[in-house]
Amino acid sequence: MTVNVEVVTGNEAAALAVKMSRPDVIAAYPITPQSSLVEHLGQHVADGQLDATMSEVESEHSAMSILQGASLSGGRTFTATSSQGLALMYEPYFRTSTLRLPIVMAIVNREMISPQTVWGGPQDSLSLRDSGWIQIYVENNQEIFDTIIQAFRVAEDQDVLLPVNVCYDGFYLSHLTEPIEVPPASAVDGYLTPYKGEHIRLDPDDVMSVDPLTPGHMLMEYRRRHLEAQTRALDVIETADTEYQKITGRSWGGLTYGYRLEDARAVLVTLGSMTGAARVAVDRARAEGRAVGLLKIRSLRPFPKQRVREQLSGRDAFCVVDRNVSFGWDSGIVYREVLGAGIDGSIPSLNFIGGLGGEDITVSMFDYVVDELWAAANGGTTRDSCEWLCNPQRSGDR
Amino acid sequence: MAVEVDRKNEEIWEMQDWISPGISACVGCNVELTLRLCLKALGPRTVLAIPPGCMGGVGVVGWGATTGARVPVFFPLLDNTAAMLAGIKLQYERRGEHINAVAFAGDGATVDAGFQCLSGAAERGDDIIYICYDNEGYMNTGFQRSGSTTQGSWTSTTPVGDSSPGKSQKKKDFPMIMAMHDLPYVATASPAYPRDLVAKVQKAMQKDGGTKYIHVLNPCPNGWGFSADESIEIARLSVQTRVFPLFEMEDGQFSPTVAVKNPRPPREYLSRLKKFRHLDDEGIAGIEETVQHRWERLQKLMGEGRPCRD
Repeated sequence: MTVNVEVVTGNEAAALAVKMSRPDVIAAYPITPQSSLVEHLGQHVADGQLDATMSEVESEHSAMSILQGASLSGGRTFTATSSQGLALMYEPYFRTSTLRLPIVMAIVNREMISPQTVWGGPQDSLSLRDSGWIQIYVENNQEIFDTIIQAFRVAEDQDVLLPVNVCYDGFYLSHLTEPIEVPPASAVDGYLTPYKGEHIRLDPDDVMSVDPLTPGHMLMEYRRRHLEAQTRALDVIETADTEYQKITGRSWGGLTYGYRLEDARAVLVTLGSMTGAARVAVDRARAEGRAVGLLKIRSLRPFPKQRVREQLSGRDAFCVVDRNVSFGWDSGIVYREVLGAGIDGSIPSLNFIGGLGGEDITVSMFDYVVDELWAAANGGTTRDSCEWLCNPQRSGDR
Repeated sequence: MAVEVDRKNEEIWEMQDWISPGISACVGCNVELTLRLCLKALGPRTVLAIPPGCMGGVGVVGWGATTGARVPVFFPLLDNTAAMLAGIKLQYERRGEHINAVAFAGDGATVDAGFQCLSGAAERGDDIIYICYDNEGYMNTGFQRSGSTTQGSWTSTTPVGDSSPGKSQKKKDFPMIMAMHDLPYVATASPAYPRDLVAKVQKAMQKDGGTKYIHVLNPCPNGWGFSADESIEIARLSVQTRVFPLFEMEDGQFSPTVAVKNPRPPREYLSRLKKFRHLDDEGIAGIEETVQHRWERLQKLMGEGRPCRD
């Protein structure tokens, strides 16, 4: 099999993956840091490399709305956005999942204002975690590429039929250049079969009324099936990963990714691009004889509660580093999600918040996190509040 | 494709009705009539968007497991009708299949919340037919004011009292706003002139490419305060007083379609409506002034124009 190596930014990697997934309709509105992804897609279409209809819409609200129409007519569709664009899109965003439309959208994670900011952080998509979409968070450009292709397969699976977000950190990945391996088009074509869209459709030859006013008992049935589809997606995400491994040799672990977990007494839990720095800190701890492992959450929706419970049970401590906040909990969102997996409450746990608004979460911060985690594993207790990771050189700005 | 655009009333009556019998519109509702007339012209190769509003509320999209139309129909959001329709049309264009992608939307979904996406679709040239049924407010939810409500109107959110004369702002001249997007076809229409209405829908269907826009003024018995049996008469009076002139703009050329040889003063129309009953002579004169100003502006655009079909 011929594999090309391309040296590309995260946004270019995403555009390449979309091109190889052969969508029918793309509608997108530019927003920092997503813009170059839309530009690359436009270029692929202009060059005749991608046979898709592109609509340069006047807002993110219309981007998602156009895709809903195209998807209701049987088309495979893609869009991408960030932060305020996602917030503007919220009305059709929620409805995309409740209409069971398998639209794929990259979210180039960006902090929410105020204060005014354009830099990275997954507060945007995490805040919408209960909107019925599948949300997968990735760590590097290769994983962006691979996961977008997998996302179409997961979304369109007859057992799922739900929209999928592939979420990656703005600037840290969107503007970072890395080499990625690109499989041949034939391999991707074999992996992604054409979308049919028979479950919900607007077609004069098969007349259907989409969304009549629906009484509560029917709405509850729709919701129950939606929850069941999310649960079935747990298996489908795993299968999509193993099948992809067969054509590329790469696996990202499906729902979660583990590093040096086997004999770990203490586990550091991460999400997204911070994982690279966390891995270095874990290696340093291991070099010093401390049995620390790493668990990266890939699928936040559906949340792999059983997997997380298994991975954290029997440890002496765990901690979660969050690049976001959960207002009212005095913690990050991912920490609350992990606690919700039903882990033995006697295991001490810690939560750290850092890297908001594009701030770095440095290796030395992770060294500190690992020190605290190790102390917790050796006779420490759960703290009721999060701890903030601040760069001492920059806190003078306050 | 040549289409007969001047049908006799009897012919229109005989055309297939694509809306279910028994939808629950109010007694005397001329919006329901307008919808049935439009669908007669549009026929079965139509995908119909009915955003929240009177026609959504009366069950055209359906209730529970039933539907109110014999063509594929859906509920867009109040504010994404044009965009959802555009997406449907784009996908059908890719497959090389012809459909009429048609919106039938109230004035709230058109001139207010849905305006951004309608303007965007119009600018991009999305190939849709957008029909606005303008009953001058949110009539489905209890007669609240919209940007299309005439100045001086009582509405439930512009109530009349010692310190309030009803709505204090002018109605948006929305057909003109759409015409200024340089669309291939823009028209005004009235349920009191069904031949003219059907002809305009058929003309819109003949235009390939671009957004086609038809604005229908639909006086509302319950919301405006007149009796159900006056529904068509009031609609006709809106045209005969030039409160709502019937015209079309085709490829940049404005033309009248129904000649009003001896126009009546707007107050003949205004005085029939309970929503204006509180206005004194000055208030009535203010509305008449706006009507006259807009008519003169339209006349300038029509220039020599083409002769009326009527």
